[in-house]
Amino acid sequence: MEAQLLGAAVAGYGLAGSFALVGTVMRRRLEMAVVGLLAGGLLAHTASLALRWERVGHGPFISMFEVLSSNVWSLTLVFLAAYLRVRAVRPAAAVALPFIFVLMAWMLVTHPDDGHFPATYRTLWLYAHVGFGKVFLGALLVSAAVGVLMVSGPPGARALRAGGLPDEARAEQLALRFLALAFVFESMMLVTGAIWAQDAWGRYWAWDPLETWSFLTWLALAGLLHARFTLRLAPRATALAIAGVFVLAVLTFFGMPFVSTALHKGAI
Amino acid sequence: MNATTLSLREGLARRVVRGVGSPRLTLALIALVGLAVIGHARVEGGLAGPLAAAFAMAAANLAAALLTNARLRADLALFVFHLSLLALLALAATGRLTALTGTLELAQGEVFDGHLLTREAGPLHPDRLARLRFVNDGFTIDYAEGWRRGRTTNDVRAFGQDGRAVHHAIGDITPLVLEGYRFYTTSNKGFAIVMRWVPRGGQPPERGTVHLPSYPLNEHRQAQSWRIPGTSREAWVMLDLDAPAIDPSRASTFQLPGAHRLVFVTGGERRELRPGDNISVPEGVLVYEGLTAWMGYKVYYDPTLPWLLACAAVGVLALAAFFWRRFGREGRGA
Repeated sequence: MEAQLLGAAVAGYGLAGSFALVGTVMRRRLEMAVVGLLAGGLLAHTASLALRWERVGHGPFISMFEVLSSNVWSLTLVFLAAYLRVRAVRPAAAVALPFIFVLMAWMLVTHPDDGHFPATYRTLWLYAHVGFGKVFLGALLVSAAVGVLMVSGPPGARALRAGGLPDEARAEQLALRFLALAFVFESMMLVTGAIWAQDAWGRYWAWDPLETWSFLTWLALAGLLHARFTLRLAPRATALAIAGVFVLAVLTFFGMPFVSTALHKGAI
Repeated sequence: MNATTLSLREGLARRVVRGVGSPRLTLALIALVGLAVIGHARVEGGLAGPLAAAFAMAAANLAAALLTNARLRADLALFVFHLSLLALLALAATGRLTALTGTLELAQGEVFDGHLLTREAGPLHPDRLARLRFVNDGFTIDYAEGWRRGRTTNDVRAFGQDGRAVHHAIGDITPLVLEGYRFYTTSNKGFAIVMRWVPRGGQPPERGTVHLPSYPLNEHRQAQSWRIPGTSREAWVMLDLDAPAIDPSRASTFQLPGAHRLVFVTGGERRELRPGDNISVPEGVLVYEGLTAWMGYKVYYDPTLPWLLACAAVGVLALAAFFWRRFGREGRGA
């Protein structure tokens, strides 16, 4: 049942992404179909995650499969919320949903092992830390998707206009709003992670690879916001820089486990 | 010195501070901190000096910007956020000067007397470890199949200055906190050999423990060399187990091994000992009393911790308030 529900979710997400792309390229309004498919996929995915949680006795925090699955879920949730709440975000689905689809494809080729839930994970700080991290990545995805449309030439500009953003300046403002949200939530992720690390391993910061690269992502975000507000970067430069920060964040979240054998979660 | 010279100097100082607090320099320093962080992560042993220097330059830039940048001061939320960042840097630096990190091991029933096995302390650390007393009353560790470590619960009794004992159950995410020192259980734990040494010279007998390497990490290296107290005699012991003390094929708990032999070697002589056996050497008699368990602890002291947390919380709230007003205003205006 767990696998079937996950399959249904993947199908829903995949179709939603396809509809978003077709809508953008063919200039069709398929928004209700995208919302319906995303919401349906999200419900099926939620049920699948809940069943797995019940079966293995812990949340999706341990194995690469679990991390990817929970991120697909949270990115879709954040994007759907933005899609419903901010109309101008809708054209960005043509960029954001294919990215989520790539994560899904990765998840499907990853071994779904249960992993072992360390005792140091039995704390509410885990949920706060992971939750803030997921909102951070979701907000950054929305920002980057808008940014990618901004630098995609006439098709991107057309899509943004269709969403009610007639010029680059307004599109940039939208991207910056979500970037600011991402910055606040990444800050909260780092603070709650430090509190947890102090309780669990007796140090609030140890420059382990994931801490190092999370801090570098925070620094890049801070530098970008500072440059934008004090040096008046051009909208396209801002959009490119946002895409760069997003790539850095993705490499940090999903690439570090492959680069380093050091366990962010401490000795098991 | 006349008024013109003074005014020139003030003008120069103002220009210097303004230059140090320049927004362009901020951007360059953010990049510099980033490079220092990468260097610290990549170089073996880290680059603490360059990293500290980069953070110090960023702090100077931040302080100068707070003094000279009117826009930064005009918005309360933005000002508080940057002030919090500066305070965080100052507190982290203070923490490095006053902090202590160390390790210790205590066998069951053993009292902590302030002695650490490893120790790293800042030059301004106010050493109060010698005043602290607690005893390890034993621990339990759950294991899942395959020696995957689960919950650790360690019973300890801490003694106040008046000698009164207070029981604490620590482990995993719960440290023992005594006068700001935080004692954490670790994954480092194992078996200890309990010996009684009766010297021939009439000195009083001594009871002590020899800690074997961490178990089950060093399952096949349960041996240790040590020197018999008050002598120059070296001894080597090895715990010989018939079966693993923790069965890896099923869920289990950390427990002392049942059937075992202790291989004891000194001066070229080899003996196998069981609890209660003794061995005679020219300097005295050693009695093997049995096995117990030891726990490895990490101790951490940093008086800035609550202040760091407060600054971080205030900084994040101020940042959220700043963006909320900025984008809220623009949203309404659009």
